[in-house]
Amino acid sequence: MSSLQNIKNASLSQGRALDPALPAWRLVLTRELADLWIGGRALSLLLIYSILLGIMAYIYSFNTALDLIPPMEAVSEMLRHALAVSAFMGLIIGADSLSGERDRATLESLLLTPVNRRDIIVAKLLAGISTWPMAYIVAIPYLYVLAQGDPVLNLALLWGAITGTVLVVGYTGLGMLVSFWSSSDKTSYFVSLGIYALLLIPAELPGDTVESVGWFLQWINPMAAVNRFLSKHLVEYGAVAEFWTWLISSTLLAFLSVVILLKYCGSNLHLEARVSNKVWAALRRAVNLLVIAGLAVTSLLASPAHALQEDDGLSISIGGGSKRVRMGEKVEINTVITNNTSAASTHLIVAMNIINLDETGEAVDPEDWSPERTQYIGSLAAGETVDLEWIVNPILEGDFIMYLALIPEPSNTQAISHPVASSGIHLTVTPFTGPKSRNILPLVIGEPVLLLAITYFVYRHRRQQIDLGGSA
Amino acid sequence: MIQRDDFKSLSQAPEILVAEGLRKSYGPRCALQGLSFSLMAGHILGFLGPNGAGKTTSIRILTTMMEPDAGHFVIDGIGSEHPNEIRQRIGVLPENPGFPRHMTGLEYIAYFGQLYGRTAAEAREHALGLLEDVGMQQRAKSLIGSYSHGMRQRIGIARALVNDPVIVFLDEPTLGLDLRGRQELLELVQRIARERNTAIVLCSHLLSEIERLCDDVVILNVGYVVARGSVAEVIGRVEKNIVLRNILRVQVPPDSVTQAQQILESLPNIMTVTLAGGLAGYMELELAGADNGDSGNVQQINNKILSMLIRAKIPILRFEVEGGRLEDVFLHLTEDVIQ
Repeated sequence: MSSLQNIKNASLSQGRALDPALPAWRLVLTRELADLWIGGRALSLLLIYSILLGIMAYIYSFNTALDLIPPMEAVSEMLRHALAVSAFMGLIIGADSLSGERDRATLESLLLTPVNRRDIIVAKLLAGISTWPMAYIVAIPYLYVLAQGDPVLNLALLWGAITGTVLVVGYTGLGMLVSFWSSSDKTSYFVSLGIYALLLIPAELPGDTVESVGWFLQWINPMAAVNRFLSKHLVEYGAVAEFWTWLISSTLLAFLSVVILLKYCGSNLHLEARVSNKVWAALRRAVNLLVIAGLAVTSLLASPAHALQEDDGLSISIGGGSKRVRMGEKVEINTVITNNTSAASTHLIVAMNIINLDETGEAVDPEDWSPERTQYIGSLAAGETVDLEWIVNPILEGDFIMYLALIPEPSNTQAISHPVASSGIHLTVTPFTGPKSRNILPLVIGEPVLLLAITYFVYRHRRQQIDLGGSA
Repeated sequence: MIQRDDFKSLSQAPEILVAEGLRKSYGPRCALQGLSFSLMAGHILGFLGPNGAGKTTSIRILTTMMEPDAGHFVIDGIGSEHPNEIRQRIGVLPENPGFPRHMTGLEYIAYFGQLYGRTAAEAREHALGLLEDVGMQQRAKSLIGSYSHGMRQRIGIARALVNDPVIVFLDEPTLGLDLRGRQELLELVQRIARERNTAIVLCSHLLSEIERLCDDVVILNVGYVVARGSVAEVIGRVEKNIVLRNILRVQVPPDSVTQAQQILESLPNIMTVTLAGGLAGYMELELAGADNGDSGNVQQINNKILSMLIRAKIPILRFEVEGGRLEDVFLHLTEDVIQ
């Protein structure tokens, strides 16, 4: 060994405070990104993600070809999977961020530096969400092919970027919070994956079948709520103003996790994980408040998104807003008929009408569009409600208004009936384009191969940077 | 409880580290009770104690990783209420340091240099110098994952020096190293203290290392300081009590054992001479007339034994007075725990 000539004993006791050449969070972030991307973890995750997405895209494309799923639904579903897997990647990277360093005994060295704890947290959070832009870029070609030129693509890209960012920030933050309070990676992964599974299960419930509790569970679940929003907005063309409340839980998760990370964890990051009684008490209070707030919001917002038309105590509503479909694609429309009077109604008949808005266009014969043009529902008791489902299969291209007429059956041949009409919903029918499953195959194979090639080049470049000569 | 004003005087003291009354409990268990000591620049302090004595707790408190329940310390004039400033002045090699396997030694040290405020170019240059100083220049661009344990410890020491610290805490730096690795590392530690005038706190279970290397020593037992001072002071202070057991150990070549035994038994102050098991030619002598605690008398008996054996031309391979080594002091002071 040489003498310690290079170790300067300069100014040991005089003004040793060093001005950072770069903000500490950027230094730590650069290191974290290098560890994540050059270390290969992020690329491996993306590779698995692209393979999963490819399989899903192929299935959707195949089903679209068979006319089982319309393109807009396939796009919505693909986006849903992309968001779920991206959030999962953020969650597990977050779950490893602090407890992993504890496990590998590398956290102490970092904490021993004068770097502010908050800077460490910020850097790790940003590194954790760094996979999202790449994951989104990987998903875009699949969405493009599945959309088959449908304008839904632009909406999907816009809202995918917004909701994905919110979700990934929230899930990464959640993973980091679990990691912050976990003494080992094993615990952190176990808890994080448990939470993920818990939040994923309700997302699979069909939204229309759940009642108020189920509705609340879906609303409070960030993943399920975002899925619901995307489904309403992209597939059913529901207005954002009508469904924005479904974005509250994911935004709240992202906001709360970031605030807790910066405000609490940023000043309480320690070598060993510990949860003080104060924190437990605060958590309990927060959960209680969240439940109360959720129930309150539920009661305020749970009113169905139906436009009501009332007359003589009978009402008929039609679910959803305007719809955009291709010729031949099935549209499901729900209606709710309610007897608001205190007496039983006469027998009721509901008839569907579709009007072509183009006065020069061909007139619509509803019987050609729907197997059930008219539905008979008999008598409704006082306060009774009945749901009716309509399946429409548009066969003409153009703009149409669809509405339903509720006709009380006259008591005798001389009596006059007063039909009640529902709101009319706009139906835009575009031409059908052929199956595209063949277009997606090169993508399904190409993207993982491209990622594999990138991984290989990163690995090779790294090997050129380091000295591989002999191990110890 | 130490008042803030008390530490105004402490902070003006020439010592690099002054600790007063540090206390720490984990729930009902007291891990550290009233740790007080000071350390001068360029001195090496040995931190001793059996497992659970409070060594790691002490180190974590002094390195700002943990807050004490009570007490205060000052490093380089900075009070413990300013942990961030203290972190700029200390270097630490923790007991089980972790290293990122995918970084090279050079990248790792340069990264830490940047964290302490150096530009990338400065940090790299400084890191190269540090790696040369710890004997790692040949493997600077190898991945840390390919390093041996000894190499990692050297990298850990380089990292601990990256900010030119006034004091370096080394927690079991030789743990898991082979004999040569241990020797080289301890030489490095000694040179850091000597050439940089850096104070070093060295935790180790190898008492011979501490005895050879350290200027001062603190012995902890179940959270309490049981001895403190220079190595000579601590041994001298405790020796008197231990010598009452009047045990001396001598090792001679096996073929000289009979002759040596005869000579030793003929001396008036030796009550018994027994062959000790384990090592060949190893004898345990029980002395008479030393039980008044008079160390001068003990010295005379020792001199007499040595001169008789030399005169008989019997090679003396080992000569130990029980209680005359740091190891004996340590065992004596931590007897309660061991029992």
